[in-house]
Amino acid sequence: MTHRLGPMQTLPSPMRKFADHDVVDYCIVGVGSAGGVLVQRLARAGFRVVGLEAGPFWDTEKDWVSDEKGSHELYWNDLRITGGTHPLALGANNSGKGVGGGSVHWAAFAPRFHPSDFRVYTEDGVGADWPMSYWDLKPYYELLEREIPVAGPAWFPWGDPHGHPYGPHPLGGVGDVLVRGCTKLGIRSVAGGPVAILSGSHGDRPHCIYRGFCLQGCKVGAKASTLITHVPDAITHGAEVRAHSMASRISLREDGRVEGVLYLDREGKEHFQRARAVIVSGYAIETPRLLLNSACPGHRHGLANSSGTLGKYLMAQAGNVVAGRFEELIRLYKAPPAHALSEEFYETDPHRGFARGFAVQTVGPLPVAFAKQMTAAMGAWGWGMRRVMMDYNHWATLGVLGEILPWEDNRVELADERDQHGLPVAKVTFNLHDNDKKLIQFGENKVMEIMRAAGAKQVVQESRFAHLVGAVRMGSDPSNSVVDRFGRTHDIPNLFVCDGSILPTQGSANPGLTIQALAARTADYLIKQGDAVFFSNRRDLTEPGIRYDLSPSYTRFKGNPRIA
Amino acid sequence: MTKKSFPFLATGGELNNLEQPGYFSGYSTMAQRKNWEKATRDVITDRLEKVPPIKFFSESEAALMAAVIDRVLPQDDRTEERTIPILPILDERLYKNSLNGFRYEDMPPDRDAYRLAIKAIDEMALGRFQSSFVDLTVHQQELILKSLHNGKPDPENALWCTMPVHRFWAMLMEDCVTAYYSHPWAWDEIGFGGPAYPRGYMRLENGLPEPWEKNEQRYEWNAPVDSVSELAEDDAPPEHESLHGHGGSH
Repeated sequence: MTHRLGPMQTLPSPMRKFADHDVVDYCIVGVGSAGGVLVQRLARAGFRVVGLEAGPFWDTEKDWVSDEKGSHELYWNDLRITGGTHPLALGANNSGKGVGGGSVHWAAFAPRFHPSDFRVYTEDGVGADWPMSYWDLKPYYELLEREIPVAGPAWFPWGDPHGHPYGPHPLGGVGDVLVRGCTKLGIRSVAGGPVAILSGSHGDRPHCIYRGFCLQGCKVGAKASTLITHVPDAITHGAEVRAHSMASRISLREDGRVEGVLYLDREGKEHFQRARAVIVSGYAIETPRLLLNSACPGHRHGLANSSGTLGKYLMAQAGNVVAGRFEELIRLYKAPPAHALSEEFYETDPHRGFARGFAVQTVGPLPVAFAKQMTAAMGAWGWGMRRVMMDYNHWATLGVLGEILPWEDNRVELADERDQHGLPVAKVTFNLHDNDKKLIQFGENKVMEIMRAAGAKQVVQESRFAHLVGAVRMGSDPSNSVVDRFGRTHDIPNLFVCDGSILPTQGSANPGLTIQALAARTADYLIKQGDAVFFSNRRDLTEPGIRYDLSPSYTRFKGNPRIA
Repeated sequence: MTKKSFPFLATGGELNNLEQPGYFSGYSTMAQRKNWEKATRDVITDRLEKVPPIKFFSESEAALMAAVIDRVLPQDDRTEERTIPILPILDERLYKNSLNGFRYEDMPPDRDAYRLAIKAIDEMALGRFQSSFVDLTVHQQELILKSLHNGKPDPENALWCTMPVHRFWAMLMEDCVTAYYSHPWAWDEIGFGGPAYPRGYMRLENGLPEPWEKNEQRYEWNAPVDSVSELAEDDAPPEHESLHGHGGSH
């Protein structure tokens, strides 16, 4: 039967299947935002590639529904332990499972990081510098903005100002509140993006229908996920994406290089995939967990952990939600949750008394999510919950997206407990530090001010966190980082990490676009290195030069628009 | 049988035995089911028609949880036939041990947490009112639950030393609102558009209804006079941190 990837798109068939005894060139663990791009690029370049994905290979027509509760399976629901002074909610909040990973349920805001994000330590004396600059990544931002592609204003004024290949989306009620409130206070805002949702049809993907279920998986195929943007092209070019394959351990050969990946299939049967190189793309919790679970003689504290920093410097962004009740109807469930923002407070302002900043963005909680927010923000229960929910259509919600700095004590470790596969689960510890608290307080107040300026009669807020990055940090010094500027582990020459976990800092931009841009750049690097990755210990740290001939079909534009 | 908390004081008389509470009279999401695609239609229809049997809770546990849920998300204004099942959905989650992707380090596993809470709540009822929780008046039940909501169990109970009460409360609320607000009758009550694929929406701004949606018709709506669960100005819970796993996330 046809495997559907949207109303118009189908999964290319047949998919190549490697045999158990085959040695592939690259085994990629996790086919999400980064893994999807990696398998596509490497397959197009002619490598033998297998992607192992713990979750299912979604048939979007059969498996996805226009319903909050019915979308539970999109998330990483397996046990993890969370603690610290400010424990992170995991699961649906930030972790995907299944081909496409988190890009299946992201809201798809796709802003770039600012040039300053790559030099936080140099400019502010806190956090870390990246071992690369914005300008190294810029051509990949532009390329991925065309491949995904990103809709948004033709003039995005913050960071490195740029335009977007697809036009902005029409404004919804919540976006209107953001623009109104910001305008009243003299704060610049943009609307209609940047968001990786189609405002016009694109190859075999229809445009957005504004149904508001972005976080539940886009059945329309308008919202980008690597499941529909890169994985089909990967399969056309000979990659195998093996679903229901939970990696349990990376094993080494006697010479200290990686030999392959042990994984468990749906029935719990163990398999071994030999590979000439392995790229771990399991995101900020599963990636360090797998490396820690792969500890062996010579790597007693986890693979590639000679620095002792594996699992450390985990980050989440402050994601406080400010809700405002208006006399008039808003109907916040219409339009994509992600469609208007301001980055006016993104950069450090010494007058504020803390380093770095935050963005202001629209959010669009559907009824269940909104009711949970009212539990926290208003203490609503009983008749109070019934009453506040009867006013659901009168509320608008805006989010703070605040930069929390990388701290050594925010970390992923192994817990004593085990999951359904018998593997030790991750234990996540998260603490807020002084700078983070000041930043959150300021951001929360500012967004409440915007909400009031827009005309809200009642304004409440809920403290929460969004996104996960870090824990396998990239750096030039092997004594305080795990991977180099291309994601190669300092310790093992044929073991790479490429996903959100390698980010040294996180800015106040949603990380999805940056993760995909980094994956395309790492792929170019690997392709240029060729067989040397498999045999040589030499570490070439020069930029590979961008390849424009490896994009999926339908995505070749002449360039990104730039006005002024 | 559920206990009712009445009367409602509202303009025009008592609000009870309503087919459809809320301000969107005559609006029905299910009436739109022919416009939904099959997978969604199947999931929502099953939710409406197939209520899972109680398998996890014992009979007495189920009775107590039913009483708790009746107060945590009261439906006394609804007709019996239009009462949204909550306990069966919670029970099914616990029976399947379906997790939401994490557990706080200071919390026992979800199943143990509910069993502990059931015991603690009943002990509180006996301690304060010398009666089992299910036999208390609606008002007495609310007083006990309100103390859990406030994070200060009254009377104090040793079992709450083994589990942070605010985390249990957040989980209980999450389970209850998930069951209630994922039901099409609740969508009718709050005027939510419901599933919208493949049709989508065309009127995005100014809170305007689609041709098949209804405009709001407000009237005075009041909780029962003796209820202590009505919203209060200073009611935000003491812990200001992320207490749940969802959100209209970025």
